Amino acid sequence: MWRRSASFILEKRQLQQQQQQQGDTVTNADSRPLSPSSTAMAAENPNPKISLYYQTRAAHHGVVTSDWLDQSKAAAGGHPDGAVSENYVSGGEDDRKGFSVVDEFNNWRKQPDLAEAVAAIRSLASVIRSSQATTMMELEIELKKAADSLKSWDTTSISLTAGCDLFMRYVTRTSALEYEDFNSAKSRLMERADKFGDISYKARRIIASLGQDFVFDGCTILVHGFSRVVFEILRTAAQSKKLFRVFCTEGRPDRTGLRLANELAKLDVPVKLLIDSAVAYSMDDVDMVFVGADGVVESGGIINMMGTYQIALVAKSMNKPVYCAAESYKFARLYPLDQKDMEPALRPIDFGVPIPSMVEVETSARDYTPPQYLTLLFTDLGVLTPSVVSDELIQLYL
Amino acid sequence: MPDVHSLVNDFVIKLKKRKIEGSKATAKQTVELLRSFISQQRLPNSNQAAALIEAVRAVGENLIAANPVELAVGNVVRRVLHIIREEDLSLATAAVGGISLADESDDDDFEQDDHPVLSATAVAAAARSSLRPPSLQTLLEDAPHAAAAPHPSSSGGDSEGKSKSADKNSVTRKLKHNVIEAVNELVQEISTCHEQIAEQAVEHIHQNEVILTLGSSRTVMEFLFAAKEKKRTFRVFVAEGAPRYQGHALAKELAARGLQTTVITDSAVFAMISRVNMVIVGAHAVMANGGVIAPVGLNMVALAAQRHAVPFVVLAGVHKLCPQYPHNPEVLLNELKSPSELLDFGEFSDCLDFASGSGSPLLHVVNPAFDYVPPNLVSLFITDTGGHNPSYMYRLIADYYSADDVVVKRKSAS
Repeated sequence: MWRRSASFILEKRQLQQQQQQQGDTVTNADSRPLSPSSTAMAAENPNPKISLYYQTRAAHHGVVTSDWLDQSKAAAGGHPDGAVSENYVSGGEDDRKGFSVVDEFNNWRKQPDLAEAVAAIRSLASVIRSSQATTMMELEIELKKAADSLKSWDTTSISLTAGCDLFMRYVTRTSALEYEDFNSAKSRLMERADKFGDISYKARRIIASLGQDFVFDGCTILVHGFSRVVFEILRTAAQSKKLFRVFCTEGRPDRTGLRLANELAKLDVPVKLLIDSAVAYSMDDVDMVFVGADGVVESGGIINMMGTYQIALVAKSMNKPVYCAAESYKFARLYPLDQKDMEPALRPIDFGVPIPSMVEVETSARDYTPPQYLTLLFTDLGVLTPSVVSDELIQLYL
Repeated sequence: MPDVHSLVNDFVIKLKKRKIEGSKATAKQTVELLRSFISQQRLPNSNQAAALIEAVRAVGENLIAANPVELAVGNVVRRVLHIIREEDLSLATAAVGGISLADESDDDDFEQDDHPVLSATAVAAAARSSLRPPSLQTLLEDAPHAAAAPHPSSSGGDSEGKSKSADKNSVTRKLKHNVIEAVNELVQEISTCHEQIAEQAVEHIHQNEVILTLGSSRTVMEFLFAAKEKKRTFRVFVAEGAPRYQGHALAKELAARGLQTTVITDSAVFAMISRVNMVIVGAHAVMANGGVIAPVGLNMVALAAQRHAVPFVVLAGVHKLCPQYPHNPEVLLNELKSPSELLDFGEFSDCLDFASGSGSPLLHVVNPAFDYVPPNLVSLFITDTGGHNPSYMYRLIADYYSADDVVVKRKSAS
């Protein structure tokens, strides 16, 4: 009989030893057991234990635990300046004006209505604005550096990476730029970047009008977590006088479902709250599942808030369609093979009671839903089957 | 003009009364009607394409509303609209190319004022972007063409701008001609799609295979004939296709051509499927997600085929390709046929009698015409352009229809 070996006990023990060593030798940096890349990471990201992406999300979505509040306060207060400028110097940039792309990004990011990719592209635009490059090549290199430092600042945000990639692609690809003189090319780039906010807003509107067609009278929709696009779809459907009800999952640990339920109740849409574990129980009554996405990967699968995968599995086994709403700038060049094949986005979970130190807690914030569990994707490029995603990405990047 | 209108009305009535059988016949008649409509349409001097599109769309709406179940009508209307857009675009780009005909169109100079501001490149780019489905690539660059249009025109458009708008004018006279030319090609395409599909038969049907089909489809018949003509020997199981039993007719035709044919009842499909190498069927319409609206009973065949891992191949001409999604297919896109196909009225008249008992008959007869086969049950589509995966349908649709028409139609027509 096949048995899983107990190696995980061994691994844990080794990890603990390592951590102990690390604690001992934290003063002499060169003997650290960590790999160079991860040390660099630690230097940039003030608190690698927590995903910055989810920190901002939680801040935006308003439902915040006390623990979270402290974290985000700390993040908003002390870190960015110290950590970032350090990073900037180490990156070989001359910050002659004290300008930092990461700061810029964090500023944009704090605006609750702004999508992550928009923040990324705007901050890249401000790199162009403050740049003193005189040739296109120079500018490109500068942008590349800025994009890289942005990406490594928060490796957990997929739309940040995707947004940076998209803009970089635009800069290198657009043929119109080649024929213009440098200044007008530069101003055109900035103009495009500033317009991107509108594009993102328009994308949401397009998705909403596409998606609301799928809502029919008398249907029951299960929604997981809070996604602005999904909310927009539901709002559009409600405004066009469709009669439907919504089941919201609670969305532990940041309980984003509560906020969605709140907002929907304001629109007079019948809402029912479920705890996350009641999904299978109530799937019988559900006609379709709507989810958002943090990122759409090349396979056509999505990376989304923890729990999406199991909802999709349940829906599939009961033959219910799963629709995912995501703007096309969330298409990312990733190909996760399984759940662990991604940069983990960690976030603290408040259990309400103290957890003994012996007990481990799974703090990963998101999971990967493979494409075979998704029925259709609503994007601003139209209603797509999951296999179209790779097609689009290949067209753009090859 | 009244002549065309009466033609349109005749056709609408025919559609309403379900006088036209089969999507191919419908598609062909629709496109021929639209052709004569376009050829008799008088066009204004300016903005011909838009006027033509508007006119065709109005007629198309009527036709679609006359028989919303016959999706081929809508498909053909959209194809024609797409053709008009395409021809308009190619004329615009030809104008940019600088085939200068400025001299002979001087008399029309007054018209120039209508659209002198837009440079030719901007027009072409805008048109192209409306034709092309949106993609990630155009996400960032889409708007600049419109926004930055004044830029390029100031650099290069000075001399060209003037000649172009004059040029465009004369060129648009050709629009109608070109559109009709292209519509003729479409007629040709629809009438030859059988042969195009049948040509691929040998690649799919191999020696000594057993093929199963349900009901009767002209496309499937030609497909099988083509394989037979290429000296393939194979057996065909024909499920009779209740309640219309078109399978009987198909079996007769096949046997007459010397094909080994076996007729089975629809309920025997599952029993026989394990002996079958491939299921080949026709379709009523193919939806954008790769799902199929097919004659009733096919979903059962598809499920049986999946159960035994038998390839389920659907033959469909491109006029059956519908750019819509089956939001709620069983309800919206189905049609109930006459119960007389199922039951003899004489025998059952007692229980069907409204006058007896409580007033409503105890016996109901439901005779739906179509099934929806979800895309995951379809292994392959064979169209006149070749074999395609269900998930590839969106690309064909992007090639054949422009995104504007899909949305507008859906809003106004359904």
